[in-house]
Amino acid sequence: MLDRFPPHWIGFLSLVHREVARFMAYKSMTVFPPILTTILYIVVFGFSLGGRIQEIHTFSYIEFIIPGLVLMSVIMSAFNHSSGSIFMSKYDYSIQDVLLSPLSYFQMVMAFTLGGIIRGVLVGLLVLASGCILAHLTPHSISFTLLFLILTAQIFSSFGIWVGLWSERWDQQAFFMNFFLMPMIFLGGVFYAVNMLPPVWQFVNHLNPVYYMVSGIRYGMLNFQEVSPWTSLWIVLLSGFTLMSITIVLFRMGYKLKS
Amino acid sequence: MKFQNSKVAIEISGLKKTYGTTHVLQGIDLKIQRGSFFGLLGPNGAGKTTTIHIICGLTLASGGRVQIFGKDHLTHYREARRAIGLSGQEYNLDRFFPLHKSLTYHGRLFGIPKLKLKNQIEKLLHQFGLHEHRNHKTHKLSGGLKRRMMMVKALLHDPEILILDEPTAGVDVELRIDLWNFLRKFNQEGKTIILTTHYLEEAENLCQEIAILSKGKIAICDTKENVIQQAKGNLMNYFITEKQSEGFNA
Repeated sequence: MLDRFPPHWIGFLSLVHREVARFMAYKSMTVFPPILTTILYIVVFGFSLGGRIQEIHTFSYIEFIIPGLVLMSVIMSAFNHSSGSIFMSKYDYSIQDVLLSPLSYFQMVMAFTLGGIIRGVLVGLLVLASGCILAHLTPHSISFTLLFLILTAQIFSSFGIWVGLWSERWDQQAFFMNFFLMPMIFLGGVFYAVNMLPPVWQFVNHLNPVYYMVSGIRYGMLNFQEVSPWTSLWIVLLSGFTLMSITIVLFRMGYKLKS
Repeated sequence: MKFQNSKVAIEISGLKKTYGTTHVLQGIDLKIQRGSFFGLLGPNGAGKTTTIHIICGLTLASGGRVQIFGKDHLTHYREARRAIGLSGQEYNLDRFFPLHKSLTYHGRLFGIPKLKLKNQIEKLLHQFGLHEHRNHKTHKLSGGLKRRMMMVKALLHDPEILILDEPTAGVDVELRIDLWNFLRKFNQEGKTIILTTHYLEEAENLCQEIAILSKGKIAICDTKENVIQQAKGNLMNYFITEKQSEGFNA
């Protein structure tokens, strides 16, 4: 069926397929661990410690943190996929196959990004299903939740490509994950409501784009809004567009791809 | 294929490449005719691989122009990349998949229809003695098999121009001779071949035209016969003379 497409779109879809096949070949490393981690978070923070925390805006603590945990798994999976894929392809020179193919730079970036989106959303949906089962939760709006999963995965997949291009060693990727991504996620409101913070930290929190992603998905799952979901949507769309554009420009420039 | 009319496969004019203060290519000009078997020779660091990588779009030139069948290789990148098959000096094999799967993805990147690709993969795997390894992952292959795999990848989309960067480095005599025979046949089909090699007898045996790169410049570019004549009967003499002029005595 794919053969009906123009040749360069067959190439694009093939690259997407290869990216998906790469992470599906190592499911026990790429798909299942985030689910286990999230279940552990739910058990430890939700069931054991959560009982000691009062309700947050009429929601039990476990209900309140599940959207954030889903988002966290999406962010990590999308980022790890694209940063790892680009870095590994640079490391074993197999990126040359892509650069030698008749795909445009836009198609190359889109294919790598889609690989990260698919992994992020797949993991996110599995975590979401596990969370909903454990906490007896029914999402308020499936479509809004799914939209935020996809947009978040796109942002961090694009960001992962950038980090994959920039990195020359494995520890540089780990540096980004530990010193940039984790603080951003943890300070993005995954485990708390912003009004629980002192005013200065509330302000800082509003500068963190992850906060709007968490708010958006919390609206989708719980019908709870600290920020208007439409404001969140615009900020997330703008972040995604900006990162995607930067990544395409970097590819076009051959940033750390072409000497 | 949109390049049917051009008789010149590759035209390079004023090609320059600078890394910091090192001038790897200092404005080279080359014209490679369609259907020719062209040897690009020179000592290590002369700029052969850089030239090839610029032609293929893997390295950015600091100046100058490359045309593939009369069209700029960057502006008309889709056609240019379809026209070229590269077997590089470094192995660049995807370690995630077995041979046949890896080749399938590679062929599909060029938009080859499924059935045609399947037949092409089978044909090339047989031709290069890789069929029995088709289910092995690429990183488990020996050096010689990896080199064959690089050739198969370069040929998969049936390119008009085949560029081989030291294709016989580190391979046994049997494979080298097989490869020579294959390349002669491929060239007889009207395909253009560019070969870089350190085995001078290989260039003498196969090439019709030879260019010798030295210190980022074309030292000589002519028919094989004329180049050998200038080198007093044997290409090796050219390199020995050059080394002696640099004051190197083995």
